[in-house]
Amino acid sequence: MELRASRIPGVVSLAQGVPSFDTPDAIKNAAIEAIQKGKVAKYSLAPGLLELREVITQKIEQENKFYDFEEEVIVTAGSIEAITATMLAILSPGDEVLVPDPTYTSYQPAIKVAGGRPVFVPLDEENHWAFDIAELEKRITPKTKALLFCNPNNPTGTIFTRNQLHAVAQLAIKHDFYILSDEVYKDFIFDAGEKFYSLAEMRGIRDRLIYIFSFSKAYAMTGWRVAYLATHHDLAKKILGVHDVLVTCAPVVSQYAALAALEMADSELAKYHAIYKQRRDLICKRLDKLKNIFEYQRPDSAYFVFPRIKEDILQKIAPGGGSKEFAIELLEKAKVATVPGAAFGPVGENHIRMCFGRSEEDINLAFDRLDDFFK
Amino acid sequence: MKPLFKKIVQFYLKLFTKIILWRHKPFVIAVAGSTNKTVAKEYILKFLREKYGEEEVRGNPRSYNTEIGLPLAILFLESGESSFWKWWKILIQAKIEALFSRKFPSKLVLELGVEKKGDMEYLLEIVRPSWVVVTNIEGSYSDAQSNLDDVFEEIKLLARKMPKSGKLILNFDDERVKNLAEFSPSEVISYGISNEADARAENIKTTVQGQNFDFTFQGKYESVEIKKYGRHNVYAWMIAKIVKENL
Repeated sequence: MELRASRIPGVVSLAQGVPSFDTPDAIKNAAIEAIQKGKVAKYSLAPGLLELREVITQKIEQENKFYDFEEEVIVTAGSIEAITATMLAILSPGDEVLVPDPTYTSYQPAIKVAGGRPVFVPLDEENHWAFDIAELEKRITPKTKALLFCNPNNPTGTIFTRNQLHAVAQLAIKHDFYILSDEVYKDFIFDAGEKFYSLAEMRGIRDRLIYIFSFSKAYAMTGWRVAYLATHHDLAKKILGVHDVLVTCAPVVSQYAALAALEMADSELAKYHAIYKQRRDLICKRLDKLKNIFEYQRPDSAYFVFPRIKEDILQKIAPGGGSKEFAIELLEKAKVATVPGAAFGPVGENHIRMCFGRSEEDINLAFDRLDDFFK
Repeated sequence: MKPLFKKIVQFYLKLFTKIILWRHKPFVIAVAGSTNKTVAKEYILKFLREKYGEEEVRGNPRSYNTEIGLPLAILFLESGESSFWKWWKILIQAKIEALFSRKFPSKLVLELGVEKKGDMEYLLEIVRPSWVVVTNIEGSYSDAQSNLDDVFEEIKLLARKMPKSGKLILNFDDERVKNLAEFSPSEVISYGISNEADARAENIKTTVQGQNFDFTFQGKYESVEIKKYGRHNVYAWMIAKIVKENL
């Protein structure tokens, strides 16, 4: 959709999930200094710079997550490399990987590259996009090797509760599968009602849990391609073998940038958080004015909202079609780019994803156009 | 920060730090090495605060351990990051602290960060530690020799400049660190897993809840449980225990 949008002049894009900010100066300056000091020309150790891994573990200890920086943390070229390397390390051809439906689009190809088969587990929209534990258990077979999910969830912007996650962990122990918890949006939780809980805090499953975090969204560093995973040392050793083959090491300049992000960019992170919260409130306010067109679950986090298109409207705008045709109509007629919900899984059909990582001006302009279009 | 302004800030911070140290004469424990400085420092702080009280012991906040970070740590001031005005404010605060502060901790636990020739000499112009802990000398690059000898030379200088009455606490599982013993006039206390070490961790077991090990030092034995993973946490615990028992 993003490619299609780029061919149409004047389109406002709420499609791609990238922050509207540039990387903070403190991070850029640290990277420049590392280049000037001649620190980035050589390969780092395969799991990453020691000092970065050390700071990572110190940082996540504040969130009650405990890992050994020497043997349990691997710095990767983006979170998708962490996921793909893990899949290649743990899957045999034909193994099944559970993924929530809807979920991040790139999970499926990462599973398939490793010879695995994604198995969708429908989330319960009426219950704020929660896991339906019974539905999840129904889909577990002897071939189930892992559950891959992001928390907060993309595209819904919702978070999974502690109780749900504990139930998921119990199933993982009972049926002996791994859990990959991709927490790229964990720093953008807007409502304090539910404290964000991570399965990485649960020591009892550390031998089957792979915790993944990316610097892309939190620090506006999507282009730097740097993330990390943390897991039990036995599993880390296996994943490291694959990571070494895939990329040797994460880009060293980006590792220095990541180090600066953790050490110096807390104030920027707080600033982004406040801005995204304002944008979340703005986009919800604008969506509320289109009640006859969409209904939606208010996102608690991340920078996405995933409204359902009302059936009569869908048939009026895209007769006989689904979310894809609807999104194309919005793109071509209203010049607003969104992502069709079907891209995130079958349950995502009849929805569109809107990103409020864009500026307030973009959000307002997009909704002014939508208001006109639906008049 | 622009280079000229950085030099000015650096000059005045160094001056004010020397003044405050001269006025209060705290007992300084330095922690040097490639990694594990922060964890070791945190354990030392925890153990010493248990013994002497919260107010009497201070360490570097975060990892303030370089030419600007170290003075900020001693003066207990935050970084001005890239703000010109914040740095001016910090220099004024530093002057007030240096000249007029009444309360100052009796013990400082400071990380010393070095990465190239000359770094340690500069830090030693600011502060002269009585005790020194060395964690390890390790590299972050696949080219194993990459600047490790430079780091060794820097820490060797620190060992050399120690007082005769001082204590040098060395990780004997690290060959480079072990070699530092011959360069210092201070008493050496070694720690590690190897049998040669004065303070030893044995029977290390990783459990779901963390790690268990047996600690022996100065003829005493202790069974220890820590809630964290990784050998570096065992080392950090041992370092802190040695410091606490000997101070």
